[in-house]
Amino acid sequence: MLTLLARFLRALNSESGAWALAIAFVLGMIMGFTPLWRVHNLVILLIALLFRVNLSGFILSFVICSGIAYLLDPLFHQVGFAILSAESWQPVWQSMYSSAFWRVVQFHHTITLGSLVISLAFAPILALVSFWVVSQYRQRIQTWFNKLKIVQALKANRFWAIYSDLRG
Amino acid sequence: MKQHTVRRSAFRWPGLAAFLAIVVLITAFSWLLLDSILKWSLERTIGTLNGAEVNIGRVEHQWVPLTIRVTDIQVTDPSQPDYNRVLIGDVSGALSWEQLLLGRVHFEEVVSTGIRVHSERQSPGEVYQLPEKSEVGDWFSDKAADLNLSLPSVDDAIARVDLHTPAAIESAKAAYETQQQRVTAVLEQLPSKETLASYEEELKALSEGEVKTPAQLQERKEHFAKLKERFAADKKALEEFKEVTSSAVAELKAEFEKVKAAPQHDLDRVGELMQLNSEGLTEITAVLFGEQARRWADYMLLAYEQLAPMLQKSADETAIKPPRGEGIWFSFTDADAPPDFLIKKARTEFAVGPTVLDVNWQNITHQHEQLGQPTVFSARGENNALWSLLQLNGELALTAEGFDGRQQWRVQGVNLAQTALSERSELAATLLSALLDSEGNIALRDGQFDGNAILRLADMAIEAHADNEWAQVIATALASLNRLDINADIKGALMNPDFSLRSDLDRQLGQALKTAALDAAGPKLDAFKQKLNAQSGGFLAEHQDQLGQWSQLLSDAEGREQRLQELLETQFKGQLEDKVKDKLKGLLGGNE
Repeated sequence: MLTLLARFLRALNSESGAWALAIAFVLGMIMGFTPLWRVHNLVILLIALLFRVNLSGFILSFVICSGIAYLLDPLFHQVGFAILSAESWQPVWQSMYSSAFWRVVQFHHTITLGSLVISLAFAPILALVSFWVVSQYRQRIQTWFNKLKIVQALKANRFWAIYSDLRG
Repeated sequence: MKQHTVRRSAFRWPGLAAFLAIVVLITAFSWLLLDSILKWSLERTIGTLNGAEVNIGRVEHQWVPLTIRVTDIQVTDPSQPDYNRVLIGDVSGALSWEQLLLGRVHFEEVVSTGIRVHSERQSPGEVYQLPEKSEVGDWFSDKAADLNLSLPSVDDAIARVDLHTPAAIESAKAAYETQQQRVTAVLEQLPSKETLASYEEELKALSEGEVKTPAQLQERKEHFAKLKERFAADKKALEEFKEVTSSAVAELKAEFEKVKAAPQHDLDRVGELMQLNSEGLTEITAVLFGEQARRWADYMLLAYEQLAPMLQKSADETAIKPPRGEGIWFSFTDADAPPDFLIKKARTEFAVGPTVLDVNWQNITHQHEQLGQPTVFSARGENNALWSLLQLNGELALTAEGFDGRQQWRVQGVNLAQTALSERSELAATLLSALLDSEGNIALRDGQFDGNAILRLADMAIEAHADNEWAQVIATALASLNRLDINADIKGALMNPDFSLRSDLDRQLGQALKTAALDAAGPKLDAFKQKLNAQSGGFLAEHQDQLGQWSQLLSDAEGREQRLQELLETQFKGQLEDKVKDKLKGLLGGNE
């Protein structure tokens, strides 16, 4: 975990694009919020690996959001139940259900659909907020942050050693 | 110097290799651990449908043909977590690849062996969702627990009776006081015998004295008129007295009748209360044979009680409250699409004591309307250790309104031996041996049972012991039984049917128990009767004379009224006028 955090900080302080980090957060969030063993998560994993998305940010976001997902499960279930029960959507669900492909993606499961809908709805917000935070951090906070005594103290411990090792 | 800016590609091609490696790893992992994954999935899915923990011993699969074998399935009973609702030794079935690729689970044939119902678990199973209604298995045992096998207490019965005798005496006393005041008041207004005698004398004097002049005649007439006015006033007083006294006598007589009847009424009430105390015992058939009947019903209604709830939950997403984080799987099949889940044929072997009952099934699904056919089941067994013949046929279909189905059965020569009917300290009864024949039919319409059955017990030998005279009546009746026909009615909701059992034993026992109760309570009841009679008799003896006096007064009053009436009707005026006329004639004739 320390290694993962160190890698993330390195990415934060490196020349990695702010969008690369923001998208990593979004992908990690979707994968963390939705049940793990679903086909759409394979697609997300493929995107995260194939494109130059920051993997440390992706993994960290996935780990954190998996924890939050446990708290949000009842909400995901309610949202998914409401959508799947909605009368006007029944023809759509019926046609999707008759297709083997859509059956395999398991969108007829309340938590899967609810969590995916919520995370997709939240994705643009998280992307923009992440981009702004990373940008602001690099412009204004990074130098000030490094001068903090507590940071100086941290640099003296094992975590800093791992971080330095990574830097090579 | 020329600078070259190298734009990095948006793709990270080694990432693709990593992705493929991960997919291969996941596939290999799933392949290798498929049995464990299937085991876990089945435990969760069936557990959710069942509403309580499901344990599976082992799952094995085979790819060609696609076959799954599951052993040692324990399905916890949600209402009794210490017991399994069903225990299945082994289930194996061949899945259709074609349907599986379309997302449907279709088994061509399933064979299940070693099925037992209501078996004890090694440790209590976790309950996910409590059943809405308590299981009917407790129905008869609850009644047995409520059964009062102690001798009814006369003292308790007397204490509970709102005694009429003291109340009737109090009421009669109050009525007597009131009526006495009324009678005394009118009695004072009555003309005495002396008054009546003086009236007669006055009247005699008026009619017999010498009248010489019209002035004397006029004087007497006026005197007579005054007398008549007094007669009329006295007659009115007499009439009022008669009216008041008559009503007083009538009311007192009515009150006295109540006092006379009250002791017997109270005795009857005590008897009724003692009989009420034994009312539960008149359902002794249900209490003693109900548990056994229920166990048989468990087997007879197995298809409904075990399969139906799971099928219902499969069909209704909202019927299941999912465990946290589990969610619900919706089904959106068209009306004419094949069912999501279907077992075309199944053969199940139920272990019943030392023998095995084969039940054959067709079309097990929760989507009967899509399939267009009901689930059909039949069982047949002959000449084994437990019975000489068992035939059972039925069908079951889940519709939008609920379950529809029907079933009929015939069982002959079931050997019952060493079966405890009651293990209470007051009454211990054991069915040593008996032969049971049973036949019945049942219909299920919109989830409601309606059916009946007859259970014929023959060659019965019952051993019964009792520790009091009361329970001894039951013990004796049971021990003398050789055969017993029990009629059973089954009605009510699918998961909470109401069984009612009745037999001639109930009526016979009811009468015997009442007699026994009254015999046992004889001395106390006699003392109670004497006490009530003493209270009632004492009051009546004290007040009967007064009633007699009033009656006598009434009789006297009638006599006086009669005399007054005669006085009133006296033709006084005519007599005197005739005398005066004669007198005047004599005077006038002498002068002519």
